[in-house]
Order: sequence, then structure tokens, then C-alpha cells
Amino acid sequence: MPVTSYLALGAILFSIGLYGVLTKRNAVIVLFSIELMLNAANLNLVAFSKFGLHPSQVGQVFSLFSITVAAAEAAIGIAILFALYRNRGTVEADRMNSLKG
Amino acid sequence: MLANAWVIPLLPLAAFVLLLAGGRRWKEGVAAWVGSIAVLAACVWSLGVLAVVPGGTGRKMEIPWLSLGDTVITMGMEVNRLNALMLLIVSLVSFLVHVYSRGYMRGDERFSVFYAYLALFTFSMLGLVISPNLLQFYIFWELVGVCSFLLIGYWYYKPEAKAAAKKAFILTRIGDVGLFIAVILAFWHTGTLEISGVIQAVQDGKVEAGIVTLIALLIFAGAVGKSGQFPLHTWLPDAMEGPTPVSALIHAATMVAAGVYLVARTFPLFEASPVAMDTVAYVGAFTALFAASIGLVQNDIKRVLAYSTVSQLGYMMLALGSAGYTAGVFHLMTHAFFKALLFLGAGAVIVALHHEQDIRRMGGLWNRHKGAGVLFLIGCLAISGIPPFSGFFSKEEVLLSAWQDGRWGVFAVGVLASFFTAFYMFRLFFLVFAGEYRGKGQPGPVSSGMMWPMGVLAALALLAGFAEFPGGWLSHWLTEETGIPAGHGSAPVWLPLLTVSIAAAGIALAWGMYVKQSVSPEQWRARAPWGYRVLLHKYYVDEGYAAVIALPYKGLSIFLRGFDRYVVEGLVRLATAAVQTAARVSTRLQNGQVQTYALISVIGLVLLMIGLAAGRLF
Amino acid sequence: MEMLPSWITWAPLLGVLVLLWIPRERTAAIRWVGVLATLPSLVLSLLLYVSFDTGKDGVQFAHSLHWFYLPVLGEKWDFQYSMGVDGLSMPLVAITGVIVTLAALASLYIRQRQKGYFLLFLLLEVGMMGVFLARNLFLFFLFFEITLVAAFFLIGIWGYVNREKTAIQFLLYNGLGSACMLLAFMGLLILFRSLELSRLHEVMHHSGALAQLSQSGGDTLLWGIFIALVIAFGIKLPIFPFHTWMLRVHAEAPPAVVMIHSGVLLKMGAYGLIRFGVELFPVQTQAAAGVLAWLGLVNILYGAVLAFSQRDLKRVLAYSSVSHMGIILLGIASLNVYGLQGAVFQSVSHGFISALLFYFIAALYERTGTTQIDQLGGLAKQMPVLSGIFLAGGMALLGLPGMSGFVSEFLAFLGLFETRPWVAATGTLGLILAAVYTLRAVMQTTFGPLHAGRERVKDSRWTEAVPMLVLLFFIVLIGVYPDVIGKPMQLTLQTIISRMGG
Repeated sequence: MPVTSYLALGAILFSIGLYGVLTKRNAVIVLFSIELMLNAANLNLVAFSKFGLHPSQVGQVFSLFSITVAAAEAAIGIAILFALYRNRGTVEADRMNSLKG
Repeated sequence: MLANAWVIPLLPLAAFVLLLAGGRRWKEGVAAWVGSIAVLAACVWSLGVLAVVPGGTGRKMEIPWLSLGDTVITMGMEVNRLNALMLLIVSLVSFLVHVYSRGYMRGDERFSVFYAYLALFTFSMLGLVISPNLLQFYIFWELVGVCSFLLIGYWYYKPEAKAAAKKAFILTRIGDVGLFIAVILAFWHTGTLEISGVIQAVQDGKVEAGIVTLIALLIFAGAVGKSGQFPLHTWLPDAMEGPTPVSALIHAATMVAAGVYLVARTFPLFEASPVAMDTVAYVGAFTALFAASIGLVQNDIKRVLAYSTVSQLGYMMLALGSAGYTAGVFHLMTHAFFKALLFLGAGAVIVALHHEQDIRRMGGLWNRHKGAGVLFLIGCLAISGIPPFSGFFSKEEVLLSAWQDGRWGVFAVGVLASFFTAFYMFRLFFLVFAGEYRGKGQPGPVSSGMMWPMGVLAALALLAGFAEFPGGWLSHWLTEETGIPAGHGSAPVWLPLLTVSIAAAGIALAWGMYVKQSVSPEQWRARAPWGYRVLLHKYYVDEGYAAVIALPYKGLSIFLRGFDRYVVEGLVRLATAAVQTAARVSTRLQNGQVQTYALISVIGLVLLMIGLAAGRLF
Repeated sequence: MEMLPSWITWAPLLGVLVLLWIPRERTAAIRWVGVLATLPSLVLSLLLYVSFDTGKDGVQFAHSLHWFYLPVLGEKWDFQYSMGVDGLSMPLVAITGVIVTLAALASLYIRQRQKGYFLLFLLLEVGMMGVFLARNLFLFFLFFEITLVAAFFLIGIWGYVNREKTAIQFLLYNGLGSACMLLAFMGLLILFRSLELSRLHEVMHHSGALAQLSQSGGDTLLWGIFIALVIAFGIKLPIFPFHTWMLRVHAEAPPAVVMIHSGVLLKMGAYGLIRFGVELFPVQTQAAAGVLAWLGLVNILYGAVLAFSQRDLKRVLAYSSVSHMGIILLGIASLNVYGLQGAVFQSVSHGFISALLFYFIAALYERTGTTQIDQLGGLAKQMPVLSGIFLAGGMALLGLPGMSGFVSEFLAFLGLFETRPWVAATGTLGLILAAVYTLRAVMQTTFGPLHAGRERVKDSRWTEAVPMLVLLFFIVLIGVYPDVIGKPMQLTLQTIISRMGG
């Protein structure tokens, strides 16, 4: 089944991304990891649109959408990181704990 | 006049309001006049009522007070002959005491407050007397209690007065709760609170015998508290801490007799229950002897009189318990006069001796205050039962009713108590008026405003007996159309002889001991030192109560305080601590690290998925 | 005129609006606006009392507006804003009006942050009035929570030394109660798809509907709801093991707030028990009456014994409240008109009495700086008027006839003696114990020789004496002529009881 290998790749990518998000200190890398997860999701979308129960173009269109959104998100994320870096002089994720209760 | 008799209690109430509003701005004279005139008006009105009151159930008037579902509780008045007689006794004695107090309380800082309290008491007592239903009776019953409390504690800065007032309130309240339950039980078992209705229901046999006994006994519990019967008597002697006019009015003539009045008022209930009758008779007889024996050795002039009051109230109960309805009421009336007289006399002595109350430091007042001496002697003769003074007639009737009811033991106790009475009264009289003056300084004068009320009372103490003798006029008048037997016919000839000779023996013994000094009291004392000590300490009843009730109660309270603080509040603290711990754990999770949050949500997601998958499997 | 309940409830907001415009430095203006702002509600509630038709059964001045829909599972659950008054709530509204105004006068003792104080105080009044006047459970819950929050801040900011801890305990405990109440209300909502009181009555008192419900297993749920409600209001009342939070509040809150707390807030518990317990769940109440009677008995005796050994006057009064709330429970447990009437009378009467006594406490603390009994004594010499008022208040507390306390005690015991004579007979012990602790407190404070260092204590000013005399007047009025509040509640209570019989 070809879909399995795509899904496996997607799952591996997602897990790597998740690992990065949860463990990396550097916020830039966290952002990259998020991109990885997003792309894993895109991969799934594309795979299903080709090999799913009802193959159609919708999945591919969706993945184009989400790539666009991801680009915007990355831009905004980086911008926020810049702002944070100016304010606090660091991009370390575990130093950003002002949400603490 | 009769239809509007409900105005009578309102007159002193108006005086009370005026006096309270006037406060300390009023001069002594104004305050005394306001109080006295209101009570005099009440007294005159009562006299008019007495003249026209019909026999039987008398006249009634009621207004709705509280609606309760289908029942409506009313307040109002009922005037029958017994009530009318009480109205007159109360308002008359109260008026005389009002006049007398003008002299006794002269120069007191809170003079108008004193008169306000007196007026409030008179209002409550008159209201009590004309109550048509048990609830109203109970209301005024408590109100007279609180007035008594206020007046005992009138000199509030004295620790003894404070303690005495508190004791009086609490001990009478114990009895009052009995009455309270009786009122409620009567309501549930007869469907009415009207005294006449309750009596009717009992006489028609609508109520079980056991319940009647219970109600009667509970009513009697109220009477025991108020009338200072054993075992709730200890407050009455302590109540002598109040001003002497108060002792005369409240703790001798009127309020303490309210218990007797209560039993008389609900007499058919007691008649319907032999157990209740026995209880009343035995408690009365025991109290009569018990208190008289304590009175033998007391040294405070007012306390001797107080124990004598307790003892005489026991007499009245004894009479009622022996089916001597009229004897009880008759003795109540004569006692009101001669005991008020004795207290006012004692007050005069106390004023003359600059507030000295110990009879060991008195003596020889006969020469200096002959008027007071003569009046006091009349009181002593009356209470000892020497003819033709009123006490003789009433006491004889009391003993006669015991005799004819077949209660030999009670009769014997009554006779013995009568010997004691004669002895301690004349011991008092001789120690105060005969011999040499043993106090310091010179006795002062007594104002005439204090003397003439005593004169009126002395006249009454002398003449009141002739309301009944000869011919039993009073008993016929009282019992006409009420269905209560009027009297016991004529006395056997030996009875008056016996009572008079017993009284004379008591007087002679007192004369021998304290005037002629042929009999030495010290010798008697030495023969039974423990007996003397027991009497002097009033049979250690107070000490017993302190050890058996007050101390354990205090202990319980302190124990429960600890229980509340550590156990109950501990539980609360446990609950708050649990909440706080939970809160602390969750604050630790809120560490502000987005990555931690994400991790937790991932774990949650995984768990959820595992759960769902597991759900599929099973 | 029909909108009177709403006017009463929202009138204090007018004062809130005015207060917001006054700068916080102008304390004199703030105080007077604060006091005056309570007057509209008072006047309106007295108007309500006067125009209340005592001959009519059921809810009067009822009005309701559509509020919002809650779409659930394809249905639309309707929530109404509905207010109204019946014989049960009418006396409580009137006494709330009176006590709030007098407590506002007693708040003149507050020395700091008056603006915030009066803002919260007026909000508290909105909440209390709303609780008694709401005819929709959701609305009721909202008002109930308003009182909780307002009282929390009033205690926490203006109290004595341990104020914060007390306020937190107060909030936690009552929050727990509110949670129970919320659960119960949600249960009712799920069962009946409405929180409108009139609608609930229709169902709960319709035997056919109930039978249907019990067939489908709703019985257990109903019992659960009933128990949750009893716990919720039992904490508020408070019933025996839940009473400690209330002691702290009595001891730590500013006296003016305690006047309201003890005078009105506790009565919300009694009101809730009658309104949602007895009226809504007649069957369950009947079954649980025995337990309630025993709880009441424990309350009476436990409170009375403990009040005897307290050293702080405020705590004596707090425990006496515990004892007196027991009488309310006894009245409820008696399941007849007498007892129920006694319970309502006790709510009203104890409201006035405790307000009076805490007013006195406020005045006393102002003068002596202490409420410890052993540091007082003989004060009658220095302040005869205040002492006289205290004595009168004490007499009312111990149930002297001619004052309001007696009527309620008599009725409660009268009721209970019909159904449970032995419990009632044991309960009368409480009457003696009440005399014991009250006399101890009153006499240690005002009788006896003057305590050293109190020679310069001054007697009351007019602004203090008049409010106290007003309270005393009401106490005596109810005691002398109880029909003033007895008549309006007659028909309502009779209806409640008749449902229980049928």
C-alpha cells in the first residue's frame, strides 16, 4: 500500500517536529519544528487526496492554502521573536515564563 | 367599669413610658407623683371592678393577636372574682409601695428609673392577673420575672446584686420552661389556649388522665420556680439584694404569689389529677418546714423575712394541694398584707440604722421608734397566727383543709412549721426592738411618708381575716358558680386551740431566749453544732447546685470549646488545606513554560487516543 | 407598580452611579450618598409591604421578560428574567430594606476607602434583594453569587486583623455551597428543561408528572438534588458541622457588615431551605424531617453551650446565632403551619435582634477598642443609654415575651410539639441555656463595678441611639403585635403545607 509509506513519513516528520517543539531551547528551532509538523500535515493531505477513498484535488488545494498560511505564520513568528529578542536579549524558550501563575 | 377593666394595667404602663421618656431630667417628686397617681388610679378602678364583678366565668374581652392557619390566638382580659381580688391586692400593695419608696429611695441617682421599673412591674403583674389565656399568662409571667430581675439588679454596680439578679432570672426560667411546655401541650390536647376552655375540656374528660397529670405537673413546675418552692427556692433569699420596697412588693406580696395564683387559676386541672394534687401538697409542706427551719438561724433581717416568705408560700401550696382552694387564696391575700407590712417595717428599720441589716447589731429600737415597733409587732402577730389578726384565720383554714383532706403528715408538718414561724419572727422582733442598742452611731429618723403606708397595711393585716370569719363570706363569694367546693365546714374546736398554743409556745421560747435570757441559744447550738451549721448554710443547697450543675456545665462548655476549635474547625482546616494543596499542585504546573503546556496537552491527547482505542477493543 | 420588585432590587444602583462621580477624597459626601442611596429601596419595600394583598394566595407583583434561549440538543431552553413576591419573601424583603439602611448608618464608623466600601455595600444590597425577589433559579443563582463576591471584599478589605484569611475561608466555604446549588439547579434544568419557579411548581406538585418521573428513575436524581440543596443552604444557615466559617466572619468582619451578614445573609439560607426545600420538594422534606429536627436540636444546644464559655462578645453572639438558627430548623422540621411560621418569624426576628446587638458592638468597639468580656464591666455607669439598649437586646435574644424572639420560639416549638414532642422538649433546654449565656454576656459587660480604665467612656450620640431605637421598636412591634408580619405570610405558608399533606 503506497499510502502507508507516505503516512509513515508524515508521522515521522510530525514526531520529529513535536520533539523539537517540546525540547529545544532556542525559539527559532522551535519555530522550525512547528514548520516540520505543518509540513507533515500537508504531506498527509496530499497523500490522502491522491490515494484516499475519494481521490480529488481538494486536498492539494488545502495543502497549498496551509503552505501559504504557514509562510505567514513563520513571518509573524519570526517578527515576534525579534521583538522578544530586543526586549529581553534572548530567544531561549525556557526564559519566557511570564505566563507563570 | 367592668367592661373596660383592661385599661387598668395600661395605666401603670403609661406611667412607665412617661418615666422612661422623662428620664433623669425629672425631679424625684415629679417621678414619684407620676408613678403613684397612675397606680392609685388603677387601684381605685380595681376597687370598682371588685364591687360589681359577677360570679362564675366573669367578663371577657379579646382581640386577635396572631393568626395561625385556622386558629387565631387572641389577647384580652378576663375578670372573674379571683382575678378581681388579685387586681385589688396587687394595685393596692403596689400603690402603698410607690408611696413608701419616695422616702426609702430618697437621693438615689436613678430615682426615676426605679419608679419606671416599679410601674413596669405593676403593669405586668396586673396584666398577668387578668389574662384569659395561657399564652398571655405566660407572656406576663415572664415579664414580671424580668421586672423582678431588673429590680434585684437595680444597684447594678454591686457584685452581689448582679449575681442575685442573674440567679433569680435563671432559676425562675427553669420553672418557666415547664410552664411553656404545659401551654403547648394544653394547646395540642385541648385545641385551645383559653384557660376556661382548657378547664372545660379536662372536665369533660376529653383529655387522657396521664396528659392531664403531665400538664398539671408542668404548670406546677412554673409555680415552683416563681414562688420559690423547693428545689428552686434559692433565688428568693438572694433576691433581697434589691431595694427593700421591691422585696415587699415583688418578693413578698405579689410576684412570688403568682405561682400560687397560677395553681389556683388552673385548679380544676389539678383536681382532675390525684398525682398532681399530692405533688403540690407534699412540695408545699416540705418547703414550708424546710424554709422555716433555715429562717431560725439567719442573721440578716431581710433574709429571715425571705425564708419566711418561702415558707408561707409553701403553706399556700400545701392548702391548694389539700383541695383547700379558698384557704390557699385566703392565705395569699392575708400574707400579701402582713408580709408587705413586715418588709416595709424592716425597710424603716434599715433606713433608721443607716442601711444596717444584721440583726446582731440592732436592738432597743422600741423606745426610739415606737410607731414602727407597733406596726412591726402587728405583722409578727399576724404571721404567727395569733387571733384576731388575719394570719390566724387563714392559717387555721390551711391546716383545716389538710386535716379534712386526710393528709395527717402534711398537717403535722404544717403545725411544726407554724411553731418555727412564731419562734423566728419573734426572735427577729426581740432582737431588733427589745434590749439594748448594739450598733454603732445613733439611729436616725424615719419619714412619715414611709410610716403611713405601713399603717394602712397594718390595718389590713388586722382586719382582713374578717372577710372570712365569721360565716365564710369570702369563700362563698369566690366560689359562687365556679363549681369549686367552697369550704370545709366548721373546724373542730381543738384546732384553733392547738394553733394558738403552738404559736404562743414559739413566742414564749423566743422571749425566753432573747429577752429574759433564761434559755441560752448558745447551749442549743453547742448541743448540735453540725445541725446549726447545716441550717446556717441553708442545707448547702447552693453549694450542691454549684457542684452538681454549674461546674459540670462549665466543664462541658470548655470541653466543647476545645472540640469546636480542634475537631470541627480542624475538619474545616482539612478541607481548606485540601483545596489549597490542590491549588498549589496546579500552580506548579502553571510555570509559564509553553513547552510544558504543550507536553501536557500531548500527553493528554495520547491518553485520550489510547482510551478511545481501548474503548473500541472492549 | 407591577414592577416594584425590580425597582427595589435595582434601586441601589442609582447610588452606585452617583458614587462613581464623587472623587474619593470627599469622604463626607460619599458617606451621605452611601446612606441616602439605601433609602429608595427601603421606601419601596415598605410600599411593597403596604400594598401587598394579604388576602391573595400566590405570587404578587409578578413580571417576567424573555431573557435568552439556550439551544440544547435541538431544543430551545427558555430563560426568563422574572421577579415577584409572595408571603414568604415579603417579610424578608422588608427587613432587608430596614437593616441595610441602618447598617449603612453603622458604616459611618468606617474610616478608610469609603468610596469602595459603599460601592460594594450597595452591590450587596442589590444581591440580597434579588435573592428574595427572583422567581427564576438562574437569576436567583446570579444574585446569590453577587452577595458572595460583595461580602468577600467587604470582609477582606475592611475587617479586623485576620480579615484576609477569614474572607478566603468565607469564599471557599460558600463557594462549595454554591457549587452544590449549581449542581442541583443543573439537575433540575435537565429534568424539567426550565428554571422558572412557577413552571417547576407545576411539575413538582403534579402527582401525575411526578409518577412519570419516578418511573423513569428520576427519583434518585430528585433526592440527589434535594440533598445538594440542603447542603448548599445548610452551609449558609449554618447547620452544625458547617458553622465555623460563620464564627470567623462574626469575629473579623466590620460590625456594619456583620449586621447585614447575621441579619440578612444567614436568612438566605433559611429562605432557600423553605423555598427550594419545603416548597419544591414536599415529599423529600417530609422524609427528611427527622434528620432536620435532630440537626436543629444539635444546633440549639451546641451553640448555646459554646456561647457560654466564649471570651469575646462577638463570638458569644456568633454562637448564639448558631443556636437560634437551630430553632429555624426545628420550625421547618415540624411540617405544619405553626412551625413554618415560626421559622419565618425567627428569620425576621433574629435579623433585627442581631442587627441591634452588632450595632451595639460597633458602638462599643468605637469607645473601648475591645470586645473581650473580661476587659469590660460596669459600663452602665458610663453609658446608661447604650447599656439599656444592650440589655433590651439581650432580653430579646433570650426570648423575652413582648419581643419578637419569643413569638418565633413559641411558634417553632408549638409546631414541633405536634410531630416530635420529645425532640421539642429537649430543645426547650435551649431556652434556659439562652438565658444563661445572654445574661452572662450582658451582665459582665454592663453590670458590676466599673472596669479600670473605662472612666472616660462616653454615652451614645443621637446618630447612634436613633437607629438602635428603631431596631428595638421593630423588635417590640413584632413581639407585641406579631400579626404585622404574620398575616402576609399566612396564605403562602398554608399552601406550602397543604401540598405536603396532599
